[in-house]
Amino acid sequence: MKKIFVIIRREYLVRVRTRAFLLSTIASPILLLAFIVVPTLLIIRGGGDRQVIVLDQSGDPALFNLIQEKAKTAPQESDYATTGGPRPVETRFALTQTVVPPDKDIDELKRQYNSEVEKDSDKAYVVLRQGILDGVEPEYYGKNVSDFGIKDLERAINTAVIQRRLMLAGFDEEKVLKYMKQVEMKTFRVSASGESEQSGFQLFQVAFAMLFFIYVTVLAYGISVMRGVIEEKQSRIVEVIVSSVKPVQMMLAKLIGIGLVGLTQYVIWVLAAVLIAVSGAAFFATNGIALPNVPVSLLIYFVVFFVLGYFLYATLYAMVGAIVSSEEEAQHVQFPVMILIVVPMLLFGMVMRNPNSAMSIVLSLIPFFTPTLMMLRIAVINPPLWQIVLSMVLMVLTILGAVWVAARIYRVGILMYGKRPSLAELGRWLRYA
Amino acid sequence: MNVVELKNVSKRFDSFVAVKDLSFEVRQGTIFGLLGPNGAGKTTTIRMIVNIFAPDDGDVLVMGRHMTADLQSSIGYLPEERGLYKKMAIGAQLEFFASLKGLDPKQAARRADEWLARLELSDWKNKKSQELSKGMQQKVQFIATVIHEPELLILDEPFSGLDPVSVNLLKGIILDLKKQGKTIIFSTHQMEQVEQMCDDICLINHATKVLGGSLREVKRRFGRNTVIIDYEGPDDFLSDSLVKRVNRFANYSEIVLGEAADAQELLKRAIASGARVNRFEMVEPSLNEIFIECVTGKSQAAKQPAEIGV
Repeated sequence: MKKIFVIIRREYLVRVRTRAFLLSTIASPILLLAFIVVPTLLIIRGGGDRQVIVLDQSGDPALFNLIQEKAKTAPQESDYATTGGPRPVETRFALTQTVVPPDKDIDELKRQYNSEVEKDSDKAYVVLRQGILDGVEPEYYGKNVSDFGIKDLERAINTAVIQRRLMLAGFDEEKVLKYMKQVEMKTFRVSASGESEQSGFQLFQVAFAMLFFIYVTVLAYGISVMRGVIEEKQSRIVEVIVSSVKPVQMMLAKLIGIGLVGLTQYVIWVLAAVLIAVSGAAFFATNGIALPNVPVSLLIYFVVFFVLGYFLYATLYAMVGAIVSSEEEAQHVQFPVMILIVVPMLLFGMVMRNPNSAMSIVLSLIPFFTPTLMMLRIAVINPPLWQIVLSMVLMVLTILGAVWVAARIYRVGILMYGKRPSLAELGRWLRYA
Repeated sequence: MNVVELKNVSKRFDSFVAVKDLSFEVRQGTIFGLLGPNGAGKTTTIRMIVNIFAPDDGDVLVMGRHMTADLQSSIGYLPEERGLYKKMAIGAQLEFFASLKGLDPKQAARRADEWLARLELSDWKNKKSQELSKGMQQKVQFIATVIHEPELLILDEPFSGLDPVSVNLLKGIILDLKKQGKTIIFSTHQMEQVEQMCDDICLINHATKVLGGSLREVKRRFGRNTVIIDYEGPDDFLSDSLVKRVNRFANYSEIVLGEAADAQELLKRAIASGARVNRFEMVEPSLNEIFIECVTGKSQAAKQPAEIGV
C-alpha cells in the first residue's frame, strides 16, 4: 500500500507544480466567462451616445419633455430583465426637439435629415406626426436600426404618449402615474428545498458553465492519464515500476493521483466562486448585477459528477495508452473514447429544452453521458432523486467494469511494444492468467 | 545459498513458447551471465524473476522463497531499453524510485546525493532528465537500480551507449557490490564483458537452455581446440581441411580446429604456404566462439565461417 502512495504522490506533485496547472486553473473560468459574456455583449451593445432629433409635429408642447424624462429613466423594464438575460448596455439618447409647424411638409424635412443620418451612425431622428396622440405611429430613422436600445426609446415614447392621452382626457397627473406603474413578473424555481428566485437565463448560464467545465476537465485529465501511460511505456519506466508493484496497482495509483489534481482544481474553483459571491455580494447588489442562485447541493453534484466522469473516461484513456506505443498512434485509438465524450455536448440543446422527456431521462442514465447530461438536468430541473441515484449507481458499476477490463489490457499492453494489437488479440489479453 | 533458483520453468504467450523447461541457479555473491541471441527468452526469464510475469509451469524462487511484495524490494532491475521521466528533476526521480522500493524520504534523499556525487552528477541534481546527455541518463538509471541497496541486481545491457570511462566506473561499482556479497544477474551480448566479469553463465536459445555452469567449466568442456594466430602473408592455409571455422579480428584470427585435428600440423602447413607466423597460441575457445557455436548449430557453423568483429 505504501508503494501505491509513492506513485500517487508523484503523479500528483509532478502535475500540480507545473505552470500549466496554475494557468488552466486561472484561465478556464476567465475563458468560460468570455464565452458567455462576450457574444451577448457584442449583440447587445449599442452605439453608446446617440443624438436623436425629434421632429415634433404633435402640437403638444408637454409631450417632448415627457419623452425626454422617460428616456432618461429607461431602460428599466426591458424584455431582457423579464427573461433574466443580461441587461443591455444602454444606448444613451440625447434628444433634441425640432418643432415642426402643422402646415409644414414633414417629408420634405426628412430628406434633408436622411443625408445627415446616412453619414453618421451616431445620429438618428424620430418623427412624431400630427395626430400622434390619436394613434398615428411614431417613426425612427437611423443608420443602425438593429440596436436593442431603440426598444427603450420606443417604450419611452409609448409611455409618454399614453400618459399625455390620459392627462388630456382630464385625469389627475398623480393618479395617472400611479395607475401606469409597470408590472414586472418574477420567476421562481420550485424545488424540493423550496422555491428560489431564478430566471431562465441564469439557469442556462449555470448549466452551461457546469457542463463546460465537466466536459473540458474530463477530456483534459483523461488525456493526461493517457500521456502518462505512454510516457512510462515508451521510456520503459513501467518495467521498473511493475517490478515493484502490480500493474493494476500502478494503474489505479495513476488514476487516483491525476484525479486528485483535477479535484484540487475543482475545489479551488468552487471556493473561489463562493468567496467571490459572498465577499462581493454587496458590490453586486449595488451595481444591479444579479448573481445566479446556485444551491450548495448543485455544487456538490458538480464535483461528484466530475469525479465519476473522470474515473470512467480516465480508465478508458489508460487502456488506450497501454495499447499504443506512441502519441501519434494514440490519436487514432482514442477516437471512440473521444466520441463518447463529445456526443452529449451535441445532445445538450435537446436535453436543455426538454429536460424531462423520456428521451432526456434515458440519455442522462447512460453512464457515458451521465456526467454531462444528468448534471445538466439537475441544474435545470430537479429530477427525482431515484434517477440521480440510479445514474450514479450505473456509473459506479460501469467504472468497476471498465477498471476490470482496463487492468487486464494494461498489464499486458504496457509490456508490449511495436505492432498495435488487433481486437482479437485484445480479447485474448483479457483471458491471460 | 542460491539467491535465484529456476526449476523447470515454462512460459507461453498464446501459441508462442517464450521459455521452456528452464532451470538454473544463481549463487550468492556471484555474477551470473544470462546469455542468448535476441528473442531467445532472456527478457521473459528476467521478467519472471522480478515477478512481472508468473510462470505457467515450474518454480521461480528468490532467496529460497516464492516472490512476495517484500522480496521485490530487495531486487534492483535495470531493463535493457530504459528511460526516465523527461520533465522531472534527477534528484526527485531517484527519490521516487528509491521510495518505490521502500526507502523513507530522508534516507532516499541522502542516498541520492551520495550516489550522484559518486558518479559525478551532483551538479545535475535539479536538472530535468531531458537536459542530460544519454550517457548521463544511463548513469542515473543505474543509480535508480542500486539506490535501495538490493541483494539481487539484474542488469540488462548496463553499459550500452556509455563511453569507456563510464563503463569502467560502473564495472568498478558492480565488482564492488559483488565484494559486498550482492548477487548480480548480468545480461549482455558483449561476450568479452562476460568473460571479464561473470562467474557462472546460462546460455538460452529458442526458449531452452543450451549451456550452463561456471565459466571455467564451460570453457573446459569445449576443449582446447582453438588457436590464436597472428600472421603476415597468404592465408590459403585457413581453408585447410583441418580448420573448422575462422573468426577474423583486426590483429589476429581465432581458428577453431576440426575434430581430432592437430594444431602442430596446421602450423606446419601455414609455414609451408609461405605465411609469416608472429604468434601461434593454443587457447580455450572464447565465449564468443562458444556462443556462436551453440546458437548457430554445428552443421551450419561448418559451412559458414562466422566473422565477428569485436
